Amino acid sequence: MPTASAVISGLPAALVVTTTVLLAVAALAGLVPGRTGRRMAHGLAGLACIGLVGLGISVLATGETATLRAGSVLGFALVDIRVDPLAALFLATLGVAGAASSAYGIGYGSTGAHMPAGRDRTTVAYPLFLASLALVFAAGDAFAFLFAWEAMALSSAVLVVGARPSGSVARAGYFYLAFTHLATAALVTAFAILTAAAGTSSFAAFGAAAAGLPRLVRDVVFLLVLIGFGTKAGAMPLHVWLPRAHPVAPSHVSALMSGVMIKTGVYGLVRVALEVLGPGPEWWGLLILGVGVVSAILGVLYALMEHDLKRLLAFHSIENVGIILIGLGIALIAAGAGAAPLAGLALTAALFHTLNHALFKSVLFLAAGSVQDAVGSRDLNVLGGLARLMPITTLAFAVGAAAISGLPPLNGFASEWLTFQGLLSAGAEESLTPLARSAALVAVGGLGLTAALAVACFVKATGVGFLALPRSAGAAAARETSRWMGAAMLALAGACVAVGLAAGPLAAGIGEIAAGVVTGEPVPVTLAPVPVGPGLGGAVYAAGAIGLLLAGIALATWLVGIRPRAVRRAPTWTCGIEPAPAFEYTATSYAKLIRLYFGRILRPAREIAVELHPGTPFPRTVRYRGEATHVIDERLYGPLHRAAVGAAQLARRLQNGSLQLYLVYTVVAVVILLVLAR
Amino acid sequence: MDVPSPVEELVVGTLQVVLVLLVAPALLGITKAVKARLQYRRGPAVVQPYRDLAKWWRKESVESEAASLLTAIAPALVLAAIVVATLLVPIVGDRPPLTGWGDLLVVVGLMALARFVLALAALDAGSAFGGMGSSREVAIAALVEPALLLALAGAALAAGSTDLGVIARAGAAAGTAWLTPALLLGAGAFAVVALAETGHEPVDNPDTHLELTMVHEGMLLEASGPRLAILAYAAELRLVLVAGLFAAAFLPFGIASDVAPLPLLGAVAAALAKLTGAAVALAVVDATVAKLRILALPELLATASILALTGLAARLWLPA
Repeated sequence: MPTASAVISGLPAALVVTTTVLLAVAALAGLVPGRTGRRMAHGLAGLACIGLVGLGISVLATGETATLRAGSVLGFALVDIRVDPLAALFLATLGVAGAASSAYGIGYGSTGAHMPAGRDRTTVAYPLFLASLALVFAAGDAFAFLFAWEAMALSSAVLVVGARPSGSVARAGYFYLAFTHLATAALVTAFAILTAAAGTSSFAAFGAAAAGLPRLVRDVVFLLVLIGFGTKAGAMPLHVWLPRAHPVAPSHVSALMSGVMIKTGVYGLVRVALEVLGPGPEWWGLLILGVGVVSAILGVLYALMEHDLKRLLAFHSIENVGIILIGLGIALIAAGAGAAPLAGLALTAALFHTLNHALFKSVLFLAAGSVQDAVGSRDLNVLGGLARLMPITTLAFAVGAAAISGLPPLNGFASEWLTFQGLLSAGAEESLTPLARSAALVAVGGLGLTAALAVACFVKATGVGFLALPRSAGAAAARETSRWMGAAMLALAGACVAVGLAAGPLAAGIGEIAAGVVTGEPVPVTLAPVPVGPGLGGAVYAAGAIGLLLAGIALATWLVGIRPRAVRRAPTWTCGIEPAPAFEYTATSYAKLIRLYFGRILRPAREIAVELHPGTPFPRTVRYRGEATHVIDERLYGPLHRAAVGAAQLARRLQNGSLQLYLVYTVVAVVILLVLAR
Repeated sequence: MDVPSPVEELVVGTLQVVLVLLVAPALLGITKAVKARLQYRRGPAVVQPYRDLAKWWRKESVESEAASLLTAIAPALVLAAIVVATLLVPIVGDRPPLTGWGDLLVVVGLMALARFVLALAALDAGSAFGGMGSSREVAIAALVEPALLLALAGAALAAGSTDLGVIARAGAAAGTAWLTPALLLGAGAFAVVALAETGHEPVDNPDTHLELTMVHEGMLLEASGPRLAILAYAAELRLVLVAGLFAAAFLPFGIASDVAPLPLLGAVAAALAKLTGAAVALAVVDATVAKLRILALPELLATASILALTGLAARLWLPA
């Protein structure tokens, strides 16, 4: 343990200071009104993000935890920064996604009509949001962590409602704040218990203190931590804020919220549930595994029912957090059973998927933002035809779509491969109980279902949103996005491809971080030129080789069979009628079969109103409205909401506005207190 | 078993590549010919698929005015995904041509890649038929993929590896002891989803272009000329891939672990016999089973998932 004023030296220290200064200046620059302030704030924030990548890499390369402690108030450190390899991985992820989002933010709103006039609150909040995210990962102390946690919640809430505080947006922001405070309340309680046990609020001391807690208290702390971090991660059934808040934020903020902010929940679970508390009883892991499977399947099913592009993406964040939690659940189960290699494999899958999701979800949100900017709508049913009008945005979206669908050779497949291997290896692991092994194998089916539904959903989103004929005048008039935005999207799409091809060495490096978390002994991370794996029985996935061979065969086929051949262009045959966008499948009709197949879960409601030409059987207008019922909203939060309102109604009777009555209350309260405190 | 030398590996690998690439259209021809005989028709010759491919290869392609670049590149991507997947499956020798490149999860992933590209390209022309085929394909795949993975998981657990070469080797070494009740349940599940995966009755009708029934053909409707030839060939290869996957996981008998000429010849014969058997079985199913209503498919395919899960449960909970 370093003493009160041990200061890190060299590169990490310089990077911490530089990043902090850059973000502070960026926030001040955000006060400059108009486009200049916007560009300066986002530009400086982007530079700070590059610094974060450097900080992450410098820590990973040495394997040594960088700590910075200074000042002392009542025995608690004023500044307590601690970047170990786990935190470094998350910081580097934040840096990459943040740099791209900042670059995008420089150009955001410059082509469309969404640029607010005058000073923009969001421009100040954006660097603060980034700084708080970084501090959440870098905090070495529960107080600093909770401070950053709240700063992150508040700054992101400003970003959600700041740009266009209309009724529905304000409501989304309120919803978001309510849930984020539920999370904070749970975390404050959990950290208070741990701080009381440890006598200090430093994370480093929590581990030893947690080991000495009675079993019941440990279970309570685990559940509190799961509620707190699970809410932030968007795990079901605590996800309801996410599809409301993420779509209304500016798109580069949505990208950061979905790509990185919800990962603070994953980070917290790894840090506290696995590192501080673990290894725990089997049901901890089983619970997380169950939450993961349910979040994954329901997340993607609800995404399929959406035709608002950004809401669709928000539901996919829930799905992907589910996939991450599946890996984390297996890691907890395996750690509890003493199967360290399996725990390492499953945690590698979870951490790698966290990184990958940050990349592809960011590019998808940025592309969705460009579409909204160019067309003025995020409704898939009025998009279409963008492939030829916005080729860069379409390419970026398509790469992100293939990556999130878990298709080789892109990055999403590599981490899903590892997750599957974790599940299958758990199924084969003799040291686990038959219950845990069965759960892991059932989860194989669940993850397979999720992956196939994700393919369906992204074929829908890409096909309906970007291909064929434009479905509205707005879509037909769309123009390609600005240079900064295009560059940011292409950089992230390129990262999805590059990480996919280099998945072997990266998975090996993340595997060393994961092993460090499981065994408690971090080592320098090295990148060995190996395939992804080994999984069950030494199975591997040679990502780079497969990718190059795929490209080679596709290129050869193109050069021989497609490019040199005669092609004639003609209208699509529509049985003799002029081709029109009305012939195309809409987002709603595309998902119809799945809506029917999974009707038990989705319980679709629909209403059709037909208005006839007077006196004829011919319809003049047909209105169709159909939507899926959100089971959790209705069955869990509906009764809760009604109960809360009912309780509030009862409590209202106490408040009738009469001063005398309030004085009586006060006297009664004082008497009770005196009796109790006697 | 000794690890074969690189040259030996190359010989066996090349043999499989050549065999698989050449024989794929013939399997479709066999299916069609047998089906015709079962229906008291004369039917096309076994070589008809080769003639079709040659015919389309010489023609021009007609492309929709609404189409993007995707329509042009999709056939190349689909073919590449299916070819690489086929090279990962041990069909002739127990070491597939791309030994050490990937396991059964990679094969399933590459099949999903092909499906993604094809289903997306089907939407590119803006025709309702393409949307119909595409939306049906992805919905059915959602029911197929869990069953497929659970069925293969049974074989993987039995062999202790997801590597298909290791699975085939373990099965071939175990002989009939490989066919435990648990594995047979998985094999049954795989057989059901194989019908869906290759677009046969009772899930899809490979012979019609009737919009009420078609799935896979609906997605190919806008393709023509060499692009149609490539996509049709990829579909034929997909049949070999699925049959090969079944054989490697559940019937790996007769697969070559040796490169001596005689065992190798035997292995080629065994591989051809298994592939022909699969083609004939598909024809029998096609000719005797009626197409299910598309809304009734979950019952069939969920049954497959449950069969596979039962197999896995039997492996875990029953004494060995």
